[in-house]
Amino acid sequence: MGNLPLSRYQALFISGLLLLFLSLASPWWLKLNGVSPSWVVLWLLPWAVVEGPLAGALAGFGIGVLLDSLQGSGLTAVPVLVLLGLWWGQFVSSRRPLERSTTLGLLALLGSLLLNGSYALQLYWRGQSAFAAWQLSLAQALFTALLAPMICSLLVLFWRRRSLRHGR
Amino acid sequence: MALGRRLRRLLDLRSLLVHWPWLVLLLALGVVRLSKGAAVVDLYALLSRPFWPGTAQSEWLRQAQHLEDQQKISLLQGQLNQLKADSALREQQGDWLTAAVISRRTEGWWQQLELGAGSLEGLHYGAVVTGPGGVLGRIASVTPSTARVTLLTDPSSRVGVTLKGSRGQGLLVGEGTSRPRLRFLDKDVEVQPGDVVLTSAASSLYPANLIVGVVQTVNSQALPAPEALVQLAAPVDAIDWVRVLR
Repeated sequence: MGNLPLSRYQALFISGLLLLFLSLASPWWLKLNGVSPSWVVLWLLPWAVVEGPLAGALAGFGIGVLLDSLQGSGLTAVPVLVLLGLWWGQFVSSRRPLERSTTLGLLALLGSLLLNGSYALQLYWRGQSAFAAWQLSLAQALFTALLAPMICSLLVLFWRRRSLRHGR
Repeated sequence: MALGRRLRRLLDLRSLLVHWPWLVLLLALGVVRLSKGAAVVDLYALLSRPFWPGTAQSEWLRQAQHLEDQQKISLLQGQLNQLKADSALREQQGDWLTAAVISRRTEGWWQQLELGAGSLEGLHYGAVVTGPGGVLGRIASVTPSTARVTLLTDPSSRVGVTLKGSRGQGLLVGEGTSRPRLRFLDKDVEVQPGDVVLTSAASSLYPANLIVGVVQTVNSQALPAPEALVQLAAPVDAIDWVRVLR
């Protein structure tokens, strides 16, 4: 293995920034019929799976705060992203191995549903209805799960390489 | 005892000193959150500047604006008989600024735009944003070079509206879809698909008599009062330039 140009924290920071820009730009060519995948799920899942629950929860907290800042509506994604980071971090131990890349798809599906569910719950508490957004959430969950085996398994390899280099 | 030891270890000054970069990071995250992502959005605006929409649509916008003005004038002429003329005319003479749309998020839980103009250009919180055709929404927050618009279709949006000819007052409620729902205040409303919806004079957030959209479908069975779905006059998904009332 050659010299890696970035440390894992640098890579995490840069990829997180790219994620924010991606969610701002939301380009049409990355959408399927107006639905884009849940990029934050695809970003957090591989990191948490490789680095463990604490790193996963911290990354979930950080990206949750940043995503909240980009949404004017006052909804928050922080709690659910922290929980997802903790949960996905459990797969770092050998007791719960990630058998196949399909597992990544399932985890991403559930993560995306939980994220959208938390938004729905918050809107419900505020007495606002967004029933139609549910349809979109389902579509987003399916799209995310479809992409996860492809994107996340590559990212898992990417993070594993970096963490090996740092003596894990 | 073990808990006390842990607590002491947690509050140890030395470990605090060792982990100061994390505290700084936490502080930075807090600052970004409180500033509503100002640094991120400004950086995005700076980086994406080469890809902002070209000026061709700006010309088209001006033409569309001309057309809209003509429509509005004919509309106002019809209303002059019923209403006092002053208030309707005054809002047309406001100071309008044209701004590019640099980010468009119109799916799901929030419906918002980012504009490539901010407080440096004189935009402020609550300013009314319109596109060719009609009202789009209001500015929810501003940074020096960008502004965030909450669209009429956002679940948090509530706007007082009226049918053309002051026939029925109602509340336009965003639902996260492309068509907001119009909840009428009165039980007896004569409303048909195709009726034009305007901002109400009773609304304190918007100037009166701006075109909002057209009634698409009517549900007269709804309780306590009839409801209607409104097709917005300004096509949010196609607009690259908007006008903001300064």
